[in-house]
Amino acid sequence: MAANYWASTQYLHWQYSRETLAQMRQKLKDEEKHLNQLFPLPDMRYLSCFFSKLLARLGKNMPVPIRQQALATAQVYLRRFYSKVEIRKTNPYIVITTALYLACKLEECAHHIKNFVNESRALWPSFITASEIAKVGECEFYLISEMSSQMIVHHPYRTLLDLQTPLNLSQDDVSMAWSVINDHYLTDLPLLYPPHVIAIAAIFLALTLRQPSTNAQQPQTATANMYSQASLRKDASDPTITGTTTQQKKSQHLVNWLSESNVNIKAVMECCQEIISLYDLLETYQESVCKEAISRFTRAQGLDK
Amino acid sequence: MSLSSSGHTSQKTSGGGFSYTSKVHVLDKYKVVGFISSGTYGRVYKAIGKDGNGKEFAIKKFKPDKEGEAAQYTGISQSAVREMSLCSELSHPNIIHLVEIILEDKCIFMVFEYCEHDLLQIIQHHSQGSAGGSGGGGAGASQQQQQSSAPTNNPAPPSAAAAGGKTPIPAPVVKSTLFQLLNGLHYLHCNWVLHRDLKPANIMLTSSGAIRIGDLGLARLFRSPLNSLYSGDKVVVTIWYRAPELLLGSRHYTPAIDLWAVGCIFAELLGLRPIFKGEEAKMDGKKGVPFQRNQMGKIVEVLGMPERRRWEGLSGMPEYGHLATVGQSQQQQQQQQQQQQQPGNGGGGGGAVGQQFNERGINVGLERWYHNTLASTGYPPISASSGANGSNPADTPGELGLDLLNKLLEYDPIKRLTAEEALRHPYFAGEDGGGKPSANCFEGVDVRYPHRRVSQDDNDIRTVSLPGTRKTVGIGGAGGGGGGMDEGGAGGGKRGRYVGD
Ligand SMILES: Nc1ncnc2c1ncn2[C@@H]1O[C@H](COP(=O)(O)OP(=O)(O)OP(=O)(O)O)[C@@H](O)[C@H]1O
Repeated sequence: MAANYWASTQYLHWQYSRETLAQMRQKLKDEEKHLNQLFPLPDMRYLSCFFSKLLARLGKNMPVPIRQQALATAQVYLRRFYSKVEIRKTNPYIVITTALYLACKLEECAHHIKNFVNESRALWPSFITASEIAKVGECEFYLISEMSSQMIVHHPYRTLLDLQTPLNLSQDDVSMAWSVINDHYLTDLPLLYPPHVIAIAAIFLALTLRQPSTNAQQPQTATANMYSQASLRKDASDPTITGTTTQQKKSQHLVNWLSESNVNIKAVMECCQEIISLYDLLETYQESVCKEAISRFTRAQGLDK
Repeated sequence: MSLSSSGHTSQKTSGGGFSYTSKVHVLDKYKVVGFISSGTYGRVYKAIGKDGNGKEFAIKKFKPDKEGEAAQYTGISQSAVREMSLCSELSHPNIIHLVEIILEDKCIFMVFEYCEHDLLQIIQHHSQGSAGGSGGGGAGASQQQQQSSAPTNNPAPPSAAAAGGKTPIPAPVVKSTLFQLLNGLHYLHCNWVLHRDLKPANIMLTSSGAIRIGDLGLARLFRSPLNSLYSGDKVVVTIWYRAPELLLGSRHYTPAIDLWAVGCIFAELLGLRPIFKGEEAKMDGKKGVPFQRNQMGKIVEVLGMPERRRWEGLSGMPEYGHLATVGQSQQQQQQQQQQQQQPGNGGGGGGAVGQQFNERGINVGLERWYHNTLASTGYPPISASSGANGSNPADTPGELGLDLLNKLLEYDPIKRLTAEEALRHPYFAGEDGGGKPSANCFEGVDVRYPHRRVSQDDNDIRTVSLPGTRKTVGIGGAGGGGGGMDEGGAGGGKRGRYVGD
């Protein structure tokens, strides 16, 4: 459980193979063929990016800003929920508010439901209208029920911090890996791989992609920087092109460490690939597209009332 | 009534869009056979599964704010969320087993395996001298209620002496209970879960003598990264079981606070009454959390004044300044006792009598308490040569029991035994001939404990299935607490145990 990932509900009930996950999604689609045709949606990762920005905005507007771990937990809840519930039958703004409200209780940084509702109404008045406490309260039941009350989430952040010393990571390396971890919530990786595998992939990417000239980058802008650096990815295995000698040494150290550990290296590489293609895709992210697609199906069905 | 009192409001959707309806229905799966207890959060019922094998369950129902027609979704309380998430995650033979959670009609139903007994009930059974038969004084729901909430200013008078025949809990029962309790606690701590509210009422036993730690409503993870242990709710643990570092204002919860509670429970199993039965100082208006002078005084009465030279962190405690005032009120009494037993051995604490230790490192005050208590409860004397006077060394917790208790009721949380260390204590190895703990508390014991009392209000249960009847019929003081579903915020808990803003 909490300390042992392999006994956790996350591992036992919320980690799927790609095939299983695809089947679950297909099933949702088949059940709501009509809705799917009527309301086409952008790539899931675009939507996830949109949701994560909404969460961040809501989190920032709270009386006490919500910390990253709770935002991450909320994103995992959203992903779990929407792997079982057709998104077009929900009001995502309500679901997002609820996911954050619940995640904050789990991560011991709870705020009153009123605060969440007030802030989300202020942010998205056209999607959250009537008295919404009851709606968020109801949605909480829905969310918990779909998750079978399994609400404790293991995140890769802990592994990252644990590995900082053994892998000689600098503060910059850690910040970079940290933002990669933040970004992985936009993908299906949280439903596919254990958190320590994701953490190692994030470290690997941080070490290979971080260039000496950009030492001082801000974690906030890392996503953008990562993308530009991701163009180096084809050469990631060529030490003459990636990073300084120190970075090179650290990567080598990581590779050695990995080969001595029993971590699944193939899985680590798959995570890296997934994240790199995410950065590719985000180049063409447009918030307005997501927003419109969502407002179309919420309006048409009166989900915003 | 009540198990689904608002059954007919579920069709109303609260918005134009989705509405939540449960896929599983409590009453389709379980037949409610009685009412067990009512607390701050809601109610506990006894039920039998409808799948035909007659299995018994306890269903804990968290009620919404207002019952009946006006029921509204208002957000699930932090403590319910904790209990739901932790119980779903945990799995250990000494932790209460959660069968399922059903969210239906704005209520949360947590379905647990049924436990026939709890330690409070067993302690009361022995303290009332009814351990021979089952008629006498079974701990009823009402008594449990009294004790399971925070103690009031008028604690129930010790009933034992008056009833004139308390009988000791057999020493092997005590040993098995304690071992299983520590085993469950070790599992919790290994998984970074603090229980924070251990007390006899929350420690249950199955009819086959297995201990199940229950009520994880206050439990929480410690050591989550980025998660300050200072944050969130404040004082926890029913006051009689509250560790000295918490009484002295520490807000740094560590597993050691649970081990102090285990020490108190051990002592209570032996003495049949709480060892430190203080009175809780109530919240003092805007001044915030008061210093629990009375409770600290009860501890000092037995153990002596904590001292800096033995507890390094002592002077850093927020309430350290108050400690001297505890000493003063107890001083004379203490000194008299000390002079009788330890002539010429002055205390070293802040103006009051400090702790005294014998050559084996046992707190002399505790030793005195221990021997007096064992004698008055009726355990046979501990004989140096085992088996002397025809007495079986397994009939008493013995000197090793005292040694373990001494190490659990250690002031300094850093020196206090951990659950793992306690499990390795010689008391459990039975080196003194006292035997090893049995996996079944009741093994070889001929006491028959009364069954948990459930009130059987037929009307009540029928109301549930009568269509169109929505009025809630109150049973047995069920009005007790506010809803468990209203507080969304940290520290906003309505549960009596929170002392927060
Ligand atoms: N699994 C169970 N089997 C039998 N009885 C139970 C079970 N769980 C709880 N009970 C009974 O219900 C009472 C209240 O349960 P619990 O301790 O979980 O509620 P609580 O109100 O949160 O606790 P507290 O009394 O600390 O406020 C228990 O003291 C016990 O008598």
